Amino acid sequence: MTPFDSDLRPAPAGRPSLAVGLRNRVHRSEALRGYLLLSPALAVLGVAIIAPLILLIVMSTWSMSGFDMLMTPGLGNYAIIASDPIYAALLGRSLKIAAIATAATVLLSYPVAYFVAFHVHRHKMLWLILLTLPFWTSYLMRIFAWRVVLGYEGVINSALMSLGLIEAPMQVFLYSQTAVTIALAHAWAAFAILPIYVSLEKIDKSYLEAAADLGDNAARRFWRITLPLSLPGVVAAFFLMFIPTVGDYVTAAMLGGPDGMMVGNLIQAQFGPINDWPMGAALALVMTLAVAVAGLAFLLLTRMIRR
Amino acid sequence: MDVIDQLHAVRSGKLSRRAFNRSLMALGIGLTAVPLGARRALAAPEDHPTFFTWGGFDIPELFVEYQAKHGEMPNFSTFGGSEEALVKLRSGFVADVSHPCLSGVPRWVETGLFQPIDTSRLSNWPNVMPELYNADFNQTEGKFWLVPFDWGQTSITYRTDLFDLQGEESWAMLSDQRHAGRLGMLSSGGDAWWCGAIMAGVPLSEIATEDAFTRISDFMRAQRPLIRIYTDDTTSLEQALASGELVAAMTWNSSAVTLRAQDVPVAFAQPKEGALTWVCGVMLHKDAPHLDRAYDVIDSLISVPSGIFNIGTYGYGHSNMKAFDNFDEATLRGLGLSKNPIEILQAGHFMTPQSADWEARMNSTWEKIKAGF
Amino acid sequence: MAATEPFHSPNRPLALYALGFTLFLYAPILFIPLFSFNSGLYARFPLQDFTLAWYAELWTRGPVFAALQNSLQVGLTVAVISTVLAVPAAKALARYRIPGKGPILGFMLLPLVVPGLIFGVALLVLVSRLGIPLSLWTVGLGHIIICLPFAISILLPRFEGANRSLEEASADLGENAWWTFWRVTFPTILPGVMASLLLTFTVSFDEFIIAFFLSGTDPTLPMYIWNQLRFPQSFPSLLALSTLILVVSFGLVLASLRLARLNRDLPGRKTS
Repeated sequence: MTPFDSDLRPAPAGRPSLAVGLRNRVHRSEALRGYLLLSPALAVLGVAIIAPLILLIVMSTWSMSGFDMLMTPGLGNYAIIASDPIYAALLGRSLKIAAIATAATVLLSYPVAYFVAFHVHRHKMLWLILLTLPFWTSYLMRIFAWRVVLGYEGVINSALMSLGLIEAPMQVFLYSQTAVTIALAHAWAAFAILPIYVSLEKIDKSYLEAAADLGDNAARRFWRITLPLSLPGVVAAFFLMFIPTVGDYVTAAMLGGPDGMMVGNLIQAQFGPINDWPMGAALALVMTLAVAVAGLAFLLLTRMIRR
Repeated sequence: MDVIDQLHAVRSGKLSRRAFNRSLMALGIGLTAVPLGARRALAAPEDHPTFFTWGGFDIPELFVEYQAKHGEMPNFSTFGGSEEALVKLRSGFVADVSHPCLSGVPRWVETGLFQPIDTSRLSNWPNVMPELYNADFNQTEGKFWLVPFDWGQTSITYRTDLFDLQGEESWAMLSDQRHAGRLGMLSSGGDAWWCGAIMAGVPLSEIATEDAFTRISDFMRAQRPLIRIYTDDTTSLEQALASGELVAAMTWNSSAVTLRAQDVPVAFAQPKEGALTWVCGVMLHKDAPHLDRAYDVIDSLISVPSGIFNIGTYGYGHSNMKAFDNFDEATLRGLGLSKNPIEILQAGHFMTPQSADWEARMNSTWEKIKAGF
Repeated sequence: MAATEPFHSPNRPLALYALGFTLFLYAPILFIPLFSFNSGLYARFPLQDFTLAWYAELWTRGPVFAALQNSLQVGLTVAVISTVLAVPAAKALARYRIPGKGPILGFMLLPLVVPGLIFGVALLVLVSRLGIPLSLWTVGLGHIIICLPFAISILLPRFEGANRSLEEASADLGENAWWTFWRVTFPTILPGVMASLLLTFTVSFDEFIIAFFLSGTDPTLPMYIWNQLRFPQSFPSLLALSTLILVVSFGLVLASLRLARLNRDLPGRKTS
């Protein structure tokens, strides 16, 4: 029962032998004890991940008739997803928006993480906190704030107009894929900075010193040592941000306009107004698969680069 | 797994443990203390019924009578859409009183979750306009399933200074090429599709036909390039109208009222084809745990003070005829209402109940059109 | 002194860039407090009069506080449960030779690489099939899934880094397992536990996507804000609430920073 078993319990004396035997066996087998400690977390995740996912897969083969679900299995939903162009288009758009936002965030964050890791000496913690503080505000409110910035009478338009660069407010900023991309990049910046920072911070400075002694200049040192060694952080940042953003629908709903709709919005609609849960389940699974494929492709790409 | 130490490094690595302890304690105390104080004063205790309603109707102004009688407010639970509300009720949530709309009544009744309302127990019932509840599907054995509370119109709110109106107000304003990219639409099929039918010239009585589907879809597809946003969040629509980003948008009455209160020059159009009239009201759960007080909630909602607030502040119609006596004709006209509301109701297009299959097909078609397919 | 090391030399352009980046992070967020003091209903320029009315109005709005309290309850519960589950799991993964450790760890971190939407949808399907009504508990369950990987990834390095010889010494002195855990192991992982509690709380407190599918009739704060978007009249007071939350969390973080510094600067005292 005690989850915090340590290796050193003295054998209890004078207990019935069966219990002692069992306890000793548990005690002696490291693996068994390990599994025992893991079991609560695994049980929760098992119930909360595996069971629903299996049901999701099963449900994706059902269909709707009015309010009722017909439980005859079939691949009709997948056939529709494959044949109707809207699904591929929205999925592609989601992957594209997420990829651009992620790439932009990682590229823009890298120098900042580099700066904090290598050029800040006394106030590292202050910088890190400063960079993560904005993410303590409500996500919905941050999206709203972007509306104020990008809006018709928003900050950018007002600034451009007062500078005399434009005469009438421009509509291109808000309600577009660009707006969604910007807001996503902003919202996830901390998730990009932190892993990159950690991987940079871990780099053994003596490598750099050695390279400097051998006459490598700063740029060469960066390309040959710093960048390759920080790549794991970059990969982690990519995954931490790319995957959740593919499935996002709030940002798209609030900033996307008609052409910024993502696959997440469609999935949400299936479970909401359209009330076709089996179709929603099928779409959700297709999205997961697409994300997994995209992730693997990225991983292979970084492997190839590292070689 | 490097993911990993990152957070650790930031959040713990360099902060001392002591500091963490303190900040966490402060977090716990600071954040829980605030709501506790406020809540004690406001929360209704266990013995009050729950009103399951749209966000925005959970306010004291609508429960003046109820508070006078019981000293406190009823409990509230809010939803963002009536479909969502029905799903929650079907999954076992018991709210004494819920707030659906008239055209949804047959589907709500079908769930077997509701009891007809004994209107003789409502002191304000005699003043309720019969036009709002007299539908075959709404009655059973002299009792009614839904007691109407709010009603209104879905029409066009437009900027009088920015929209170049030529001729009469009409639904064609929302397909005006000159204002392409500066027009807005409500996003839910419940409003947009029905208005689409009016715009496409389909009689609402024929909305379920195959031909209607084609005509409405074609119309809405052609309209899409002109539309800047489809949204149900009125905050966005009003914000956009206020800033001039939109010059005209499909809205409910309330938007025009709110905008005018902020000195934005807008008008609520009376389109020559007629606006879409909607009626919402309250239904009683079959297992309502606080039945007597649930009747008081309903009675309070259809009382004159609630009506005055609903008309004056929200700009919606109200079911109590007497509430209209407190407003002059000009004000009411501006809201798309009238001293003689019955006349408006008779002229309006009503939404009619449709089958679940129709709803599903309509919603899925509509989602695709909005996405550009 | 840094100038003696070539790769530590101050880099003006880089510093400027970092500053600019920080400004970019903060700029949009500052509009939330700005408009919470603006008398106009709509957030647009030019600003109108300064007002505290939205803060006053906030005070009269019971449902807002009910939602805030729901979020706090869910957040605290999720933080405690996921951390309590993560501590033994992280210990097992860090300390024991277990067959299949890789796949197990992979499975536990899986939620980090699956869109949250999927869990929301899948759990919704499951609980509705089982006839379990949606409630704050179902939201909490969903949040535990996404918080557990964070908790484990924070705690794992703690266990890996902790000094085992102390535990062994404690055992040699005849302490039992519980006692050893509380007296020896726990203090060394405490910073990790704290970090885990804080992070999981933060994640849960602001989570919307899963809560959208799994919340019943008691909304969490993000859900409440979402529902209120239809009512422009209530929006400014939500800005006021967000400002207050902003101030409280900024204050807390800065205060803890301050405390950390004080601790360090006190003579004769060492930070852990």
